[in-house]
Amino acid sequence: MKLTDLFLKVYFYIMLALVYFPIAILILFSFNESRSKLAFTGFTIENYISLINDRAVWVSFYNSIWIAIVVVIISIFLGLMLAYAIVRYNPKGKDIIDTLMLIPIIIPEIIEALTLLVFFLILGIPLSPATIIIGHAAFDIPLAYIIIKARLVGYDPQYEEAARTLGADEIQTLFRVTLPMLMPGILAAAFMTFVWSYDDFIKTFFTKPIGFNTLPVYLWTKLSRRGFSLDVNALCTFIIVISILFTYIRMKIIQE
Amino acid sequence: MTRYAVEIENVTKRFGKVVAVNNVTLRIKENEFFSLLGPSGCGKTTTLRIIAGLETPDTGVVRLRGVDVTNVPTHKRNIGMVFQHLALFPHMNVYDNIAFGLRMRHVPENEIKERVKRILEIVRLPGFESRRINQLSGGQQQRVALARALVIEPDVLLLDEPLGALDLKIRQHMMVELKRIQREVGTTFIYVTHDQNEAMVMSDRLAVMRNGVIQQVAPPHEIYMKPANMFVASFIGEAINFFEGVYKGNGEFETKEGVIFKVADDPQLINKKTVIAIRPERFQISDKPPEGIPNTIKGTIEITVFKGSSIEYRVKTPINDNVIVFVPNISPTMKIFNPGDTVYISWSVEAGVLLPYEEKIELETIPVRR
Repeated sequence: MKLTDLFLKVYFYIMLALVYFPIAILILFSFNESRSKLAFTGFTIENYISLINDRAVWVSFYNSIWIAIVVVIISIFLGLMLAYAIVRYNPKGKDIIDTLMLIPIIIPEIIEALTLLVFFLILGIPLSPATIIIGHAAFDIPLAYIIIKARLVGYDPQYEEAARTLGADEIQTLFRVTLPMLMPGILAAAFMTFVWSYDDFIKTFFTKPIGFNTLPVYLWTKLSRRGFSLDVNALCTFIIVISILFTYIRMKIIQE
Repeated sequence: MTRYAVEIENVTKRFGKVVAVNNVTLRIKENEFFSLLGPSGCGKTTTLRIIAGLETPDTGVVRLRGVDVTNVPTHKRNIGMVFQHLALFPHMNVYDNIAFGLRMRHVPENEIKERVKRILEIVRLPGFESRRINQLSGGQQQRVALARALVIEPDVLLLDEPLGALDLKIRQHMMVELKRIQREVGTTFIYVTHDQNEAMVMSDRLAVMRNGVIQQVAPPHEIYMKPANMFVASFIGEAINFFEGVYKGNGEFETKEGVIFKVADDPQLINKKTVIAIRPERFQISDKPPEGIPNTIKGTIEITVFKGSSIEYRVKTPINDNVIVFVPNISPTMKIFNPGDTVYISWSVEAGVLLPYEEKIELETIPVRR
């Protein structure tokens, strides 16, 4: 009995370490004085100061954020409408739609990125922030759909009927009953799609115009141009912190 | 001329090939507690939803207080409804739930406050305004759902099996409460249930439905004592006995064994295949042939069940090999028969109800849809 307890404990910590040790090292070394990747020689915040002074960081950060926001709005709007229609009206082809929605999530991202690029080239659409948004949305709509639909299962149309019997018309029912009740699912999907878009590198890299960077793409250009540097560590830490922050806010909202 | 709270006339509703409601006509009086009773899938809920406007009838007319509302959408009919799963809004507290209908009617907020307070007193939940829905017990949620539907002072309150989810004890208590609240607010109640006990206890009148068709509309005692057909006779009450045969006229009924029983005359059933329906408590049971009682059969006790306030016998007779007899426990010295005893069971002319024979009485049907 004791032995199994011990084993489970060790197992748990090994798992945690595998997940978080690399991230911890990266964050730690972002405060490293020397360029060494192996030895921590002294604490400094210089890397962060040079990061703050890099205007390109701010531009790409700004790009990442506004693109993610637009993607969230499009994905939630379309994903919500589809999920609601499927759950509420239970149409015949719903299993086919479920499968169609799952495929973009399971196929490798590099293939998604390539198909997008080919798609835009064939249609002669010049690459722009809009093509990035279309690319992200095409794969974030299914994500929003799946998250919202999971929350919707068991949603009882009696709530809407109850509102109707109390004198609410369709619009009042939508805004006072249906949407507020779906809000937890909508928020969960919004944060997930935001983080997916914000984190995305491959699709953005393939569909972006020259000279336009999001934060992960900027990180890559920095790496490929100058090799590994300490402010790259700092930049990574910055990106991670933003992602964690969003996940934390999402958790807090869901707890409410 | 009586003004009815609710009238539905020749209403029919189909779901695909299934006729859920078949040419139903009902007139429900003001302040009446009216129940729609029937097995699941009999069309009672669909009928209620048609009154609410949540379903549109294929044919027929719905009137509320004399006004044709057949084509009026739900939110413009002044109705209250308590749903099977209550459907209290989980994102609102008790106050906002009850205030919902009043806000839709643009009642000023200070009046809403007054009316919510008053209705919570009527349903015996004073001071519950700020509670959240998930903090309430099943019975309390029940009362909030009632309050929410009643506070708008509807022309009629529709209740769709609202007690189904409650424990037996709370259900029995809520039945009495529903009746009290109905008298206190003086609103017409239409109550849908498959539980005959609920319908019998609370209703002024009830309609028994089967396969979308109304079988009988009458007060509870009449439904019990003068059932319109074999279905109603079997569906209502704890048990019923049927003796099959042919009605010969002149108050004489002949079983297939050739035994003659006396019944009340019904000229419409002469020479037709019929049954005599007799409630188990209408029999007398004795160890010697009784005198002065027109109908008697000899039989053997198969099973004796002592139930406290009564004794239940299963008697094997040449005519029906499982006659159910309830004998009230009226005296500590009364004779209790044991299995194997030979007995005589007898009944008066009035105890038997002559009904047309039906091949199949299905007390359960497959629900059309939930």
